[in-house]
Amino acid sequence: MEKKTRGFSFYADIYRKILVQDLKTKMSYRADFIISTIGMIMVNLSGFVTFLILFRNFPTINGWDYYHMLFLYGFSLVALTPVQCFFDNNWNLRFMVTSGDFIKYCFRPVNVFFYFMSEVFDVKGLGQLAFGIGTLIYAWAHIGIPVTALTIGKLLVFLLTASLFMIALMNAAAATCFWIRNSGYVMVIMFRFKDFAKYPSSIFSGIFKFLFTFIIPIAFIAYYPSLVILDPDNVPLLSWLSPFIGILFFWLSYKFWMLGVRKYDFTGS
Amino acid sequence: MEDQALVMKNVCKDFKVLNRHEGLKGSIQDLFSRDYKTISAVKDVSLEVARGEIIGYLGPNGAGKSTTIKMMTGVLEPTSGEILVNGKVPYKNRTENCENIGVVFGQRSQLWWSLPLIESFKLLRDLYMVPQQQYEDMIELYRSLVDIEPIINKPVRQMSLGQRTLSDILAAFIHNPAIVFLDEPTIGLDVSMKDKIRALIKGLNKEKNTTVILTTHDMGDVDALCRRIVIIDKGMKIYDNDIEHLKGYFGSYRTLHMKLADDTWEQMLIDEKTTDVMQVITEKQKVTKIKDIRLEEISTEEVIKKIYEGEAV
Ligand SMILES: Nc1ncnc2c1ncn2[C@@H]1O[C@H](COP(=O)(O)OP(=O)(O)OP(=O)(O)O)[C@@H](O)[C@H]1O
Ligand SMILES: [Mg+2]
Repeated sequence: MEKKTRGFSFYADIYRKILVQDLKTKMSYRADFIISTIGMIMVNLSGFVTFLILFRNFPTINGWDYYHMLFLYGFSLVALTPVQCFFDNNWNLRFMVTSGDFIKYCFRPVNVFFYFMSEVFDVKGLGQLAFGIGTLIYAWAHIGIPVTALTIGKLLVFLLTASLFMIALMNAAAATCFWIRNSGYVMVIMFRFKDFAKYPSSIFSGIFKFLFTFIIPIAFIAYYPSLVILDPDNVPLLSWLSPFIGILFFWLSYKFWMLGVRKYDFTGS
Repeated sequence: MEDQALVMKNVCKDFKVLNRHEGLKGSIQDLFSRDYKTISAVKDVSLEVARGEIIGYLGPNGAGKSTTIKMMTGVLEPTSGEILVNGKVPYKNRTENCENIGVVFGQRSQLWWSLPLIESFKLLRDLYMVPQQQYEDMIELYRSLVDIEPIINKPVRQMSLGQRTLSDILAAFIHNPAIVFLDEPTIGLDVSMKDKIRALIKGLNKEKNTTVILTTHDMGDVDALCRRIVIIDKGMKIYDNDIEHLKGYFGSYRTLHMKLADDTWEQMLIDEKTTDVMQVITEKQKVTKIKDIRLEEISTEEVIKKIYEGEAV
């Protein structure tokens, strides 16, 4: 029997097909779709309003003015979109692992991580994306950052970098369920940590700064990558390195996740 | 091609189970604990299955059947021993092994929950890279074996348990695998659905020469599908031969059915070597009227029960 090879285009094609089918069925439950869309707008709106009220009253924080803060906020919203849209099934992992339903992902001739994640596409992330882009453009215009191919290119690369960190964080948090029982807490804590991402890391000091940079790399979700655009004359080395560190973290989290699958003993009959 | 679909040599599987502690402090303790106990789920099982064979892999609850299947499908690594599926070690070549096997775990659907069945089929076609012609032929074959019209456009989430199981079995064959593993496929189904599913499995096995490894607690499945059975108990293989051979061993046993005065049937298993059937009937007649009598050879169910209860073969 000839060996079948499955490359990048195969995986992209499969993902697209699953996504199309999934969206079709989601839209066929019309009421459900409309309600969740409204809910998604409300959630984003309330987060946005809270932010506005909070920062209207503080003209600058550590030398960051209102529009810079807004930029960071928008940046973090956009950077969080991929994890929300494409990796949302991480939230179901621990239930499937305890019930034994996880086994079904291991019977197909494709990568288990891919197959697991491909099952869920969360549309709610798209609302966040729209808000994020809106905020980003608004802040961008007020700060007066030039619109050139270079700045746009930088923005895209560093948005991608930032999202890699968030994905890595959630992968690693979810994968703890292969070892511990109460892994739900780990995920919730990690997810809460992301709220710190929208503040400039310079407001943290000492132990927290170290913690949020190297242990739980929250500072990479918005702060370090956005400095490349906000403050192009004083970019710290960590900012330039962040794309590589991001890839490394993602790769490590993927390996950790797959290690969990290998170690898992498939409970349930 | 190798002539054996599956070979197992002295396969053992141990599970290490942590002795868990209570509370938050206990959870933290568990993280670093070395306090394990070992459960031997499968002990020294050897087995060869030829192409096209359907074997019944039987045993009481907790015997180790599902564990064996998990090893054969490559998701669990044997603690020791050797397994070859289609000539390859499943655990070492999981994705390659999956190319050529189908798996159904009763009551655990593997299909996309919200998609209509036909869309699931198409996605599987693409996942397994099945040529379009071969896919269409398979769907045609399905149509000839079972009425798929009522379910083909239904989302899996709206299906009854029986329809879902039927769908899962169809899905397990879509890429024409060499071996299909069915772990309790008829669990929780009504008699007519069981019949349909048995006919389907039999038909697919005949048409495609697919090897089938079937575990079940329903001896109706065994009667309908398997010539050969393998029985394991407490992880050890205790029987491996034709079902007829086993029945022959219990050849002197008869099942006596008696219809009593109140129109109920009573049944009794009698060993003719030690008990006289006529005498049993006479004794019974002293206490109640007997309207009808039937004498049958021992059923598969009763043979298996005897084995589970420890009758040596
Ligand atoms: N992941 C696991 N961790 C620990 N012990 C396990 C695990 N899986 C199975 N066992 C144990 O191994 C033994 C065999 O279990 P298995 O599920 O293979 O039995 P089975 O023959 O399929 O039973 P049933 O007919 O009830 O499905 C049981 O004692 C079970 O408790
Ligand atoms: Mg079982």
